[in-house]
Amino acid sequence: MMRYIAGRLVETVVALAVMSFLIYGLIGLMPGDPIDIMVQADPNLTSADAARLKALYGLDKPLVERYFNWLEAALQGDFGYSRVHNAPVLEVLLPRLGNSLLLMGLSFVLALLVALPIGIYSALRPYGARDYAINFVALAGISIPVFWFALMLIYLFAVEWKLLPAGGMRSLGVDATGMEGLLDRAKYLVLPVLALSAASIGGFTRFVRASTMETMRHDYIRTARAKGLSERRVVLKHGLSNAMIPVVTIIALSFGSLFSGALITETMFSYLGMGKLIYDSILGNDYNLALISLLFATLITLIANLAADVCYAWLDPRISYSGGSEP
Amino acid sequence: MSSMTRLAARRFVRHRAALASGVLLVLMALAAGAAPLVEMLLGVDGNEVDLLARFGAAGPGHPLGTDELGRDVLVRLLFGGQVSLIVALITAFSAALIGAVIGLSAGYYGGWIDTLLMRLTDGVIALPLLPLLIILAAVDMSKIPFLDGLDDSAASSLYRIVLIITLVGWTTVARLVRGAALSLRTREYVLAARSMGASGLRIMTVHILPNVMSPIIVATTLSVGNIILFESVLSFLGLGIQPPIASWGNMLNNAQELIYEAPALAFYPGMAIFLTVIAFNFLGDGLQDALDPKATGHERGDS
Amino acid sequence: MTALLEAQGLSKHFAIRGVGLFAKQIGTLRAVDEVSLTIEAGRCLALVGESGCGKTTLARCLALLHRPSAGCIRFDGEMVYGDNLNKYKAIRRDIQMVFQDPYGALNPRMTVAAIIAEPLNIHSVGNRRERAERVVELMESVGLSPSLADRYPHEFSGGQRQRIGIARALALRPRLIIADEPVSALDVSVQSQVLNLMLDLQDDLGLSYLFISHDLAVVEHMADTVAVMYLGRIVELAPRDDLFASPAHPYTQALLRSIPRPGGGKRTPGALLGGEVPNPLDPPSGCPFHPRCPRAADICREARPALETVAGDHLAACHFKEAGSP
Repeated sequence: MMRYIAGRLVETVVALAVMSFLIYGLIGLMPGDPIDIMVQADPNLTSADAARLKALYGLDKPLVERYFNWLEAALQGDFGYSRVHNAPVLEVLLPRLGNSLLLMGLSFVLALLVALPIGIYSALRPYGARDYAINFVALAGISIPVFWFALMLIYLFAVEWKLLPAGGMRSLGVDATGMEGLLDRAKYLVLPVLALSAASIGGFTRFVRASTMETMRHDYIRTARAKGLSERRVVLKHGLSNAMIPVVTIIALSFGSLFSGALITETMFSYLGMGKLIYDSILGNDYNLALISLLFATLITLIANLAADVCYAWLDPRISYSGGSEP
Repeated sequence: MSSMTRLAARRFVRHRAALASGVLLVLMALAAGAAPLVEMLLGVDGNEVDLLARFGAAGPGHPLGTDELGRDVLVRLLFGGQVSLIVALITAFSAALIGAVIGLSAGYYGGWIDTLLMRLTDGVIALPLLPLLIILAAVDMSKIPFLDGLDDSAASSLYRIVLIITLVGWTTVARLVRGAALSLRTREYVLAARSMGASGLRIMTVHILPNVMSPIIVATTLSVGNIILFESVLSFLGLGIQPPIASWGNMLNNAQELIYEAPALAFYPGMAIFLTVIAFNFLGDGLQDALDPKATGHERGDS
Repeated sequence: MTALLEAQGLSKHFAIRGVGLFAKQIGTLRAVDEVSLTIEAGRCLALVGESGCGKTTLARCLALLHRPSAGCIRFDGEMVYGDNLNKYKAIRRDIQMVFQDPYGALNPRMTVAAIIAEPLNIHSVGNRRERAERVVELMESVGLSPSLADRYPHEFSGGQRQRIGIARALALRPRLIIADEPVSALDVSVQSQVLNLMLDLQDDLGLSYLFISHDLAVVEHMADTVAVMYLGRIVELAPRDDLFASPAHPYTQALLRSIPRPGGGKRTPGALLGGEVPNPLDPPSGCPFHPRCPRAADICREARPALETVAGDHLAACHFKEAGSP
């Protein structure tokens, strides 16, 4: 088991390294480089100056060399400067990361709280009218465009009924700490969390339902019933614990899409999280920031995947770690 | 083969939501295809900007009103449907093709090829897709030697969006096909073919691929919905299909600012996206039940 | 008698690994362990043994589907190397296989005509018309009506599907057919039809067979020579009549005693086979059969017996081999 974890850790590090090179290269392909931007902003800079500056910053070197220079600095903790915010990247990134994790976390918890009971209920009374209704709603959840859903929510709750704010993080003049501040922040979180959870609720519900139904079909459930256990015990003790195993993996694997959803949601609600940061920095040509924040997002997703694999291996005693090679 | 298809068709028809979705999609496709006809009937031009008629209410001549530049909403909606649907279908097909090739190679050859391809696949799956797509969309084409034919025009934006979504969309089919190939390669008819001296290519295309078609069809159908969602998000952000070519996504581009003045403008394109995606998802569900009833929880007659 | 196919010291080992990037090998499965045998032209060599004894693996090695781990194979006197099996496309025309599972051996998405014609396609034999004619010829030779050529496998019964498999195997006019339990999955009433078909084809076409089975009654019907396998090794090799009349190895004797004979009656005295087949990942020391053998002695635990002559062509691998009555 330890061996497995060690192997997966190594794979994660390798994956991250490869991703970093890829993203570095991609960002390098974006229009203009920092010096060009400076030249555009400052008409006094001649092309000779531009060339000199490029040489100074090492921008005229080939891609691989620039990448390794960057890597060397990064491994020593120097992640560069954000051009737009005029501050070290980490300083800009970390608070935003916290905001995003709050948003994503709340949405995640909400999705679980809704999807688990509903999915299980649906699985235990399959093919009925309620099951179909639940399936329809779940499917709607994963089909709805998040940005449109956000728009509709804004329209209904902010424009039409004027119940909740249309965007932002907190009201001006409200004390950030204390009960009042907390409630205020909560007000700003309701719509974004709702918008972000739609897809997760839909996806999780369907998966929990499928997984539970699959488990209930197994013979050991029939055996438990034949033994005379009450239906409730059958479900709780035997069915659920086994059904939850794949659910754990699916949950961890949905991190990647959660980030994508968060990007849109934060942008729509002007919520200062990492998703919006990634978006703004890419479009604003703030290369360092874009690069690091993307890598952070990738790293978190990779860690979530690793955790999922380990959990799965730990929970499912049926997986044996010795298998043959040829058929 | 016909009896198996007939059985599948019967199972599909029992799934009423899937059937309804199929019908809905056909109707939508027809409506979108009829866009020029509608244009003619209404006597309007979808691209004609008429600043005097901005935000017109629904009425004769403009069944759904006009947008912020005075263009007829219904006509734009239908043309946008053409674009969104065609782009999505082409992308889904390309992604499935790439996925099938990768999955077949990985599953059939096994060994280091499998490990390499699967690591690659896992890597792409692990990435947060939207940020990656945004970067890809923002990339300056002139910096890539063989792609600098793609400029910033609206027509190019169509090719670009197909390209970038295909680039990240092949993973589901790849995994699926790989799994199937791994299990099928120990089947006796594959062994028989090998013992006859069949080449790997022949075995993959003649023996394995036809037997994997059902899950591929299901996965591809289900992927269309996701592709439409991604295209519309990118177009909404201004990174996808560029105006004047209408797509449902870019029709919503200004919707947020205009939400106070003309909320209806935000409603129709989004609703269109929503309905189309949910229809494809139901269709995919139904196809899955029909083609492989054991996979979902829909098998009846079970204890 | 000319030797068509010879195997010498053939072994096939599978490495068992753990999972993950740094997993190491945790065991070896010796599916086939130093097997030597000869198949004569125009004759049928039967390979007998219980499930898991390695006969299928051996068959696949001889059909060039597996790369042997050791030893060599000679076909028609020429060495067939285990390294790059793709070089031997030509030899593949001479060796064809018939499989056990009539439901798995045929691609469900291909018509019968396509299935039978496939070997012809692969080796580019003839043109379209000639191939179609050959398909008709083959179907008739196995007793199937050519009008069924456009049907799909699921429309046929098990026995018919096996005939299709045989027709496919005959397409390239092979000299050796390796039949891996070809009738084991069929109903008993159908079995004899297929077996007789195979015997007729052998006479008509001068075929050689490697016939694998766990059913001794079938073997008695088909074989000229019989090889008995246990845990990847050949423990007895004899002409059919010799084997059935006076088996030398205790395993063979026990197998023969366990054949149900119609008409009931007393079983011949002698112990039936006790115990279970040991785990191939962890075979017993010395002679692999010693834990279950009524004759086992100390030497059996220590030294592995070699395949040695009992009498004439009759070979057995036992320290106490004796041609006894079954």
